[in-house]
Amino acid sequence: MKRFRISPPAAALILAVTLFLLSGLLPNGFGSDLGIAKAQATNIVRLAVFLGVIAAGQTLVIISGSEGIDLSAGSVVTLTAILAYVLIKGNDNMVLPAIGVVLLVGAVIGLLNGIGVTFLKISPFVMTLGMAGVVKGLIIILNHGNVSGKVAPIMTTIIARPVVFGIPGAILIWVVFGLFMWFLLERTPFGRNLFAIGVNRVTSTLSGIRVPWLNIATYSLAGALAGFGGFLLVGNTGVVFISLGDPYLFPSIAAVAVGGTLLSGGKGSYWGTMSGAIVLTLITSLLTTMQMPESVRRMVLGGTLLLLISIYGRQRALRQ
Amino acid sequence: MLLSAQNIVKRYGGVVALSDGNLNVSSGEVVALVGANGSGKSTLSKIINGVVVLDGGQLLLDGAPAEFASPQAARKMGIATVFQELSLVPQMSIAENIWLTREPLHANGMVNHKEVLARTERLLKLFEGTFKTALTPDVSVNSLQPDEKQIIEILKAVSTDPRILILDEATASLDSRQVSRLFELVAEWKKAGKAIIFVSHRMEEIFRIADTYTVLRNGKTVGSGVIKEVTEKELVNLMIEQASVFSHARQNRLSARELAQKPVYLSVKDLTTDVLRGVNLEVHQGELLGLGGLMGQGQRELLRAIFGYIQYQGRINIQGREVFYRHPADAIKDGTAFVPGDRGKEGLLYIRSILENILLPSWKEFGVPLRMRKAHQSAAVVGKSLNLKMAGLDEPVSSLSGGNAQKVVIGKWLKRKPQLLLLDDPTKGVDVGTKAEFYKLLANLCDEGKTIIFYSSDDEELVGLCDRILVMHDGVIRTSLIDKMITKRNLVAASLGASEEEQHE
Amino acid sequence: MNRRRWNQLLLKYPFLFALILLAIAILVNAILQPTFFTRESLNNNMRVFLPLMILAVGQAVVMLGGGIDISVGGIVSIVNTILATQVGLQGSPQKMWLFVGLSLLAGLAAGTLNGFFVSVLRLQPIITTYATSFLFFGIALYILPNPGGGIPQAISGLYRNSTPLGIPLAIYVIVLILLGWYYLRHTRYGRYLYAVGGKAEAAYESGVPVVGIQFSTYIISGMMAAVAGIAMSMLTGSGNADIGSAMTLNSVTAVVIGGTAFSGGVGGIAGPIVGAMTLQMIMNIISFANIDTWWQTFVNALIIVIALALPGLLNLFQGRKK
Repeated sequence: MKRFRISPPAAALILAVTLFLLSGLLPNGFGSDLGIAKAQATNIVRLAVFLGVIAAGQTLVIISGSEGIDLSAGSVVTLTAILAYVLIKGNDNMVLPAIGVVLLVGAVIGLLNGIGVTFLKISPFVMTLGMAGVVKGLIIILNHGNVSGKVAPIMTTIIARPVVFGIPGAILIWVVFGLFMWFLLERTPFGRNLFAIGVNRVTSTLSGIRVPWLNIATYSLAGALAGFGGFLLVGNTGVVFISLGDPYLFPSIAAVAVGGTLLSGGKGSYWGTMSGAIVLTLITSLLTTMQMPESVRRMVLGGTLLLLISIYGRQRALRQ
Repeated sequence: MLLSAQNIVKRYGGVVALSDGNLNVSSGEVVALVGANGSGKSTLSKIINGVVVLDGGQLLLDGAPAEFASPQAARKMGIATVFQELSLVPQMSIAENIWLTREPLHANGMVNHKEVLARTERLLKLFEGTFKTALTPDVSVNSLQPDEKQIIEILKAVSTDPRILILDEATASLDSRQVSRLFELVAEWKKAGKAIIFVSHRMEEIFRIADTYTVLRNGKTVGSGVIKEVTEKELVNLMIEQASVFSHARQNRLSARELAQKPVYLSVKDLTTDVLRGVNLEVHQGELLGLGGLMGQGQRELLRAIFGYIQYQGRINIQGREVFYRHPADAIKDGTAFVPGDRGKEGLLYIRSILENILLPSWKEFGVPLRMRKAHQSAAVVGKSLNLKMAGLDEPVSSLSGGNAQKVVIGKWLKRKPQLLLLDDPTKGVDVGTKAEFYKLLANLCDEGKTIIFYSSDDEELVGLCDRILVMHDGVIRTSLIDKMITKRNLVAASLGASEEEQHE
Repeated sequence: MNRRRWNQLLLKYPFLFALILLAIAILVNAILQPTFFTRESLNNNMRVFLPLMILAVGQAVVMLGGGIDISVGGIVSIVNTILATQVGLQGSPQKMWLFVGLSLLAGLAAGTLNGFFVSVLRLQPIITTYATSFLFFGIALYILPNPGGGIPQAISGLYRNSTPLGIPLAIYVIVLILLGWYYLRHTRYGRYLYAVGGKAEAAYESGVPVVGIQFSTYIISGMMAAVAGIAMSMLTGSGNADIGSAMTLNSVTAVVIGGTAFSGGVGGIAGPIVGAMTLQMIMNIISFANIDTWWQTFVNALIIVIALALPGLLNLFQGRKK
């Protein structure tokens, strides 16, 4: 029998479907009730939206190579969620300006990350981890005395409730978002150059790509996207708290890896990340259904990432 | 007979580096391993010292078959190699580097510093007086000059008291005084019964130090014997091919007079970098200018400075206008292109598709959103004009053979119709057929009025193609060959002649 | 002192810079806290600083070898939760020492796991140890889902009050570590370590067992993290699965302040020890200075980022001068 290649995003989707079907067999599962199955599937995908959007920026920085990663994503999500919450105060008219502010704040934080990584030559892991701490500090400053704010009704309508054919607005937003990401990566010079610098920065420079600026722009964009994720998240939950964004950080990286994007850079897609987000949300949801504590969730996630990089991530051997 | 390599075969992927390599050396003897670039002499020495595994043939040590699975195994059998800086850790001192893994110890396991110092000083004494500044054992290696680093590599190999010492282009960075001292030491080592394999193409040194010789050409041993019984001319003749496709590659070569009539496209004044020491040159429009000379004399830096890839001091003018390139993007905008020789590291994005590689500098032309159909067509045109043999534009470029991959490297520039093409040893590892296509392409470009500066480590190539050849040595241009003066013999002589000048200082 | 002499001195004693920072920090601290130089206060400070100092040593060894260990905080948490739950407030001293031994084994196991993935499978150190850190924090949380438990009062009292010959216990530990390092550094192993961290290909060509050396650095880091976890448990006297979460970044920062290069092959462990002291001393200052509590987290994080940025900033300015 000939071996045929499945693309990683497709493989991830197959995995997701398999896991989902298996989950149906569990005591609390949907069994043979198609209606409940459909509802549960929709819910999983809806939950996956937030992880998926938050993982978009992560996808970009990882594709850009040189050990690119954004550990500040979780804190940026929380910060922008709080900002949106406070700015909107339940007023529909403030939604668009709030989105603007949120994207700007995320972009600035990402810009700082980019500068640290590019000009100060700080490893992306360490830089973004440090920035995460700074942002957390900002969150505490903002949060003291308990913030007062409110989500706008229009947000809840669009994000949390079904809009068309019973499909939650969040999923529709995600589809549009996915198309945007695809467009960015596959139909703009920015995207083409991003893959290039992820593979080989010397070749890229010798071909005329201004690598430092591209690098900074990537981190900045990643920050803005994380900001958008924060906006969506608060639109879904309706409340904010200090650790709102934290549970999404590690899974965002795992989602990118599951989706087939090489952690060393230069190859990948956002479709893969979307599949990965669904897989990870499924895993988390399964664990919750099985009433597993947070500790087990962490162990499973850590083990999963370890497994993934063992399969996808071998570096060159010392001897040729 | 101490060591005998018989009928060695070695393949790297599709390229055959060695098809019949032979070498014999006895104790107390120096054998010169000679051959042009690409002849396989480096590969043969790497097989002997265990870095590379042979695919066919056998090695005999003391008459018995031997296998060297790793550099360490070879070392244990008494074979030491002097690398080109490959085995020095820059952050560590001279002493630490020399004695790494062989440090003398106290009973308690700690390194015996006194002993290390004493032994290192003894070793350094061997080259006493040949350093510009006195070297002490605790000096950190990254503060050393290239010649000093080379000597440390020599001392490191010698400190293992080997039976066979391989000197692979070990004199490349050394000055005449250091070379003389090295040869004095070699004479002593011969008396002590050591065997030495001297890989080099410096004729003067070979005839000074070697007892026997072995000549490699195109992966085969084509001659061996006693040095005293052969002349330099005969040796060079064995090295080069007599009839060659390449010597007829260029039909309409420009004469000096014709060149002078053409406008000057590029002029360089007092170009200085870390390696270059004041380069001056002028290139005419439509000229195919070659850069020659021994490796590492600054040819590659010159190309990179012109392309804006490295910082430089001095002036560069394009068509009379002074330019200040801070980044290759600036040079590219002015119509300059750079084709690197190391495809993997500098020329290609290996895991991306052929399409992406061809269009890498040109995506902006296709707008936002990128018109992919137009892009495909554009790339297909390039592929066709280069006679690119591929399964499809969307296949990864890693699926291409060496020659075709190199076509992609040059192809990505052809699309942009560059006025000035800078080539850095582009035909390394490329098969003969593709080379011929390459030469035709370059000739056509010149006929169209494009300007080309072409560095090659292959002298035949330069002789076969160029209107004019500038031979570089030690960061400056020493000789210029034009018209009838362009012959292989003159080129080789000019490359080596500079070092002869030095000898008579 | 002109710039050239300064640079040469810095090369020879990388932790010089950290020492100067430390001196400044001590000065400021002493000004803000008049009782700083009393025996009691010094002892207090040292035993609070000790866990991070030990952690920084382990991290330094890994970084010297060219790697990094992000899972150290997780190992500290595991050890802390093991001790807090298995020994508990009512435990006997014998039980304590038993589990101290087991904790060291846990550190060894964790280090072996890391070493296997990084050196044998040759995966990227950062992302690998990030994954194992999540795994370890999960294990710690599993052992102790909610903060609680503790260690016998006798033991934590021992840690708190021990001043043999009037010198804080912490100093003895540090001296022990320094002596051990001095020995190690002057053996072949030490040379191999610096070679691997300096230029792994050159080390390989010279016959150094690169894989083995890298593996060993993760084992050392794991065990030092375990020791740090033991010290931390004795310090706080109670259990908390989250106890190590801030320590990872702090350990990397301490190493960077201490002058041991991120890329490997340069520096020692004296610098990171000083760096850990300096970092915590600065955080002390923050809490003593009249900075709003709400702002403290932010300021602390900002200091860390600045500390991490310093080598890069200095390089930039030196580069300009050329």
